Amino acid sequence: MEKYRGLKFFEHIPATPDKGMILTRLGYKKTTTVMDDDYRKNLMENISKGLMLCNTKGVFGTFDIINRDEESVELENGVTLKSRSLSKLLSNSMDVVLMASTVGKDIVDRIVDEIKNKDAAFGVILDAVASETADAALDWMVDFINKMIRREGKKLTGMRYSPGYGDLPLSNQKLIFDVLNLERLGINITERFMLVPEKSVIAIAGVEGVGYNE
Amino acid sequence: MAIMNKKDFLDFLKQNILVLDGATGTELQKRGMPNGVCPESWAIENPDVIVDIQKDYINAGANAVYTCTFGGNRIKLSEFGLGDKVVEINRKLAQLSRKAVGENGFVGGDLAPTGQFVRPFGDMPFEEAVDIYKEQVKGLLEGGVDFFVIETMMDIQEARAALLAVKESCDLPVCVSMTFDENGRTLTGTDPVSALIILQNLGADVVGCNCSTGPEDMIKIIRSMKPYAKVPLLAKPNAGLPRLIDGKTQFDMESEEFGSYIREFIEAGVNLLGGCCGTSPLYIAQIRKNINGLIPIPPEPKEICAVASARKTVFVDANEPVVVVGERINPSGKKKLQEELRQGMTSLVRQFAIEQVEKGANILDVNVGMPGIDEKETMVKVIELLSSMSDAPLCLDSSSPEVLEAALRIYPGRALINSISAEKVKLEKLLPIAAKYGAAFILLPLNDAGVPKSGKERCHIVEEVFNEALKFGYTKKDIIVDGLVMTVSADQEAALETLNVIEWCTNNFGCGTIVGLSNVSFGMPERAWINSAFLAMAIGYGLTMAILNPSSDTLMSIKMASDVLKAKDKNSKKYIEYFAALVSDKPVIPEKKDTASPVEKIYESVVKGDRENVRKFIDIALKDGIEPSVIVDKHLIPAITHVGDLYDKKEYFLPQLIQSAETMKEAFGILEPLLEKESEGEKNSKVGVVLATVKGDIHDIGKNIVGLMLKNYGFEVYDLGKDVSAEEIVKKVKETKAPIIGLSALMTTTMLEMKEVVNLVRKEGLSAKVMIGGAVVNADYAKEIGADGYSEDAYAAVKLASKLSET
Repeated sequence: MEKYRGLKFFEHIPATPDKGMILTRLGYKKTTTVMDDDYRKNLMENISKGLMLCNTKGVFGTFDIINRDEESVELENGVTLKSRSLSKLLSNSMDVVLMASTVGKDIVDRIVDEIKNKDAAFGVILDAVASETADAALDWMVDFINKMIRREGKKLTGMRYSPGYGDLPLSNQKLIFDVLNLERLGINITERFMLVPEKSVIAIAGVEGVGYNE
Repeated sequence: MAIMNKKDFLDFLKQNILVLDGATGTELQKRGMPNGVCPESWAIENPDVIVDIQKDYINAGANAVYTCTFGGNRIKLSEFGLGDKVVEINRKLAQLSRKAVGENGFVGGDLAPTGQFVRPFGDMPFEEAVDIYKEQVKGLLEGGVDFFVIETMMDIQEARAALLAVKESCDLPVCVSMTFDENGRTLTGTDPVSALIILQNLGADVVGCNCSTGPEDMIKIIRSMKPYAKVPLLAKPNAGLPRLIDGKTQFDMESEEFGSYIREFIEAGVNLLGGCCGTSPLYIAQIRKNINGLIPIPPEPKEICAVASARKTVFVDANEPVVVVGERINPSGKKKLQEELRQGMTSLVRQFAIEQVEKGANILDVNVGMPGIDEKETMVKVIELLSSMSDAPLCLDSSSPEVLEAALRIYPGRALINSISAEKVKLEKLLPIAAKYGAAFILLPLNDAGVPKSGKERCHIVEEVFNEALKFGYTKKDIIVDGLVMTVSADQEAALETLNVIEWCTNNFGCGTIVGLSNVSFGMPERAWINSAFLAMAIGYGLTMAILNPSSDTLMSIKMASDVLKAKDKNSKKYIEYFAALVSDKPVIPEKKDTASPVEKIYESVVKGDRENVRKFIDIALKDGIEPSVIVDKHLIPAITHVGDLYDKKEYFLPQLIQSAETMKEAFGILEPLLEKESEGEKNSKVGVVLATVKGDIHDIGKNIVGLMLKNYGFEVYDLGKDVSAEEIVKKVKETKAPIIGLSALMTTTMLEMKEVVNLVRKEGLSAKVMIGGAVVNADYAKEIGADGYSEDAYAAVKLASKLSET
């Protein structure tokens, strides 16, 4: 277990996604989409049911940047992330935070079952809730880490990056999957580097100093 | 000053402001400690440096220094390969501090975060955290510390673990200092009042805060704690705000400015004052200079009962609104909940918790006692879940002392115990447990002889139990008396006796009261009326808490109204909020006369997505002699087309579109066999679509939605699932002769597989058209790989498939 030392696991992340974001993901337009009060009430109840099905967990670890050039970033744990745009994002960073979150298997199984066999409209609502909750969990962790490192005059980069994003190949999911010991959160990875359960996400952010004008 | 005991320490605080030291880490760096080394180990190797720093603090006016053991726990020391030297390192560092302060000061054994997070928030088992701190405490005790300080704690649960570790190891005074950000919360969301309530009841002799903020924000935190503090308060602010300059953390407040806040700190109620990050002996000299002539304000806490979760405190008092304890997390009489708990599942527990809080419960009662489960294990699991997902404090409800002890130990709050009676076993076993963890408790006025019939006898038992509780340091504000509700159908005086107990507790004895309501009406018809009337009467007699199902609108409405009438709800604010939804209800619109014909209703059902009623309207229309083909062509198809238009215009969003499409499918399912009959056995041929998520890709939720929509719009869908090879797709096209292939991919790595499918389709000379979709593809990519079209969502896929089937 020595290689996983320094990882911080969260068994219950109290992240609640913004309901507006869930609706937007479902194609809702505030000024255009029409629904009556009963429908809205039912929709909100379904969103709440989705939130209850999420078992949101997460993990993060902080790693020194050993070397950085225009093409890639090398971390203390031997991981090298090859991406020009990620390297640019990390240009003022001394450390990198690798993180992951998942909403668990229950809600993903339920989404599939509802869409295939039961109430597909409910299924797509659950789908949106699960996606937004996994993202909200990352937001929550970013906020958490920011509060933690603010005491040292540091903060995380405003943007976070993910494998499969821009020029950072998806294959990096496997490197980060191993580093973060994601099996411990009940996550698996396929040969083509996809996370299972589906609503699981990995992200990368840099640690940089807080300037005088911030 | 020699080594002192708890009494000496607390006596000192009664007369004096105790000046603490300032930062140690930055001072070590200033005096030569390189970056990246283990500070504890370096300090031992360079004993003169740490001794000089601490002497400087004493000379600057500090009464006490903290040992240089901030990172002296097993987890932190293991990062430097020193995990097996915890006791030795702590002992040596405590001895060095002892040497530094000599007879002139106190030594505080410093315990700080491990860097890991403890359950329920993190993954470290609670007992592991307790053991880690006990090991450090052992070394510090061997080194001769005078008191302990648990500092810079970001998580209340870790602070609890450290506090228990000290208390289970020795009887020295212990201070607990949390760190709150500028929003007044710890990293894990605890507010200052809740932290104070939890820690002072768990046995901290001093509570306070350090780090994270400068003096200004910290004074606000102290002010919020002071009205509820039974113990002296501690503060150690930073020298302003941190910045990272040339790789080094620096702070922006000079010592004189720091000194200008000292009087305000003392006036806010601080009894122990020092400095944290960025401070030095200069800052401590400022404290000494500015406290001259000031004396501590003694603790004068409000006489009020408080229970707390990790993130919220609930006050129980005659002047506060009646506190509602939600009763639903209890398996008795709930088969589904029993089944779930037996299987180790918790979705109903989550549901009950959320619903009860939404409906107005302030506290959640948790009872998992039932045959066939390990009650202790289940209780711990449910508490861990609830304390992370809900802000409501918990009422731990079990008859087993063992279960209650396990629950109290891991609950990151100040719990209310349900309940302790005068039964010998309960008094002997439960009272010490409750006291150890500082829990408030519900006092059940019954004894081994049973429930006394008269209120007077019950009051006598209350006094008896309280006298025992006094021995453990309890006050009347830590107990809530259950009036014991007996049924009026068996004894009509029963309710009056309960009300007498409530009145006596309120007006004579001086403690809070609680009742569970439903028992009173057992055996009576229309029980809700009796329950409601009884609640109103009990509140009239002074009731402060009620155990009830907050989903009962009648009970909750009566509670809200009674709080107004008893002037507990200031300015009727909560009442107005509670009823705001009803007050703002729209005016009643007279029901429209139902003049729509059955086919109009069919049309409307599809547009509204009313799956439940469409069958009924179709049956009526068919009975009225309307041809199935007419229903389909003139009503269903125009309806779903209209839905498509609404979706295109964004007046409908995805769930509405799908709901309508499902209704269409339902309707079509009824009419299809009749249509075949109508066309004299000629089978209606549907357009086939072979649908798949391509090889290597396992995301099929989007593809499933497309499949569903295609089916609902009359296509024959052959869904091959996910991770499907080009060969399998081509084989299926040959077999079904489907003219359309729909491919989905969600990742940049798997979208390439779409090209393989297109190539194979062309190579095999098939005429099938290929349409693609998925988050990472677009129309340009479709063109690039030679596909026949791209659709951005499920409805666009239906339109594209229709178009492709016509070409």
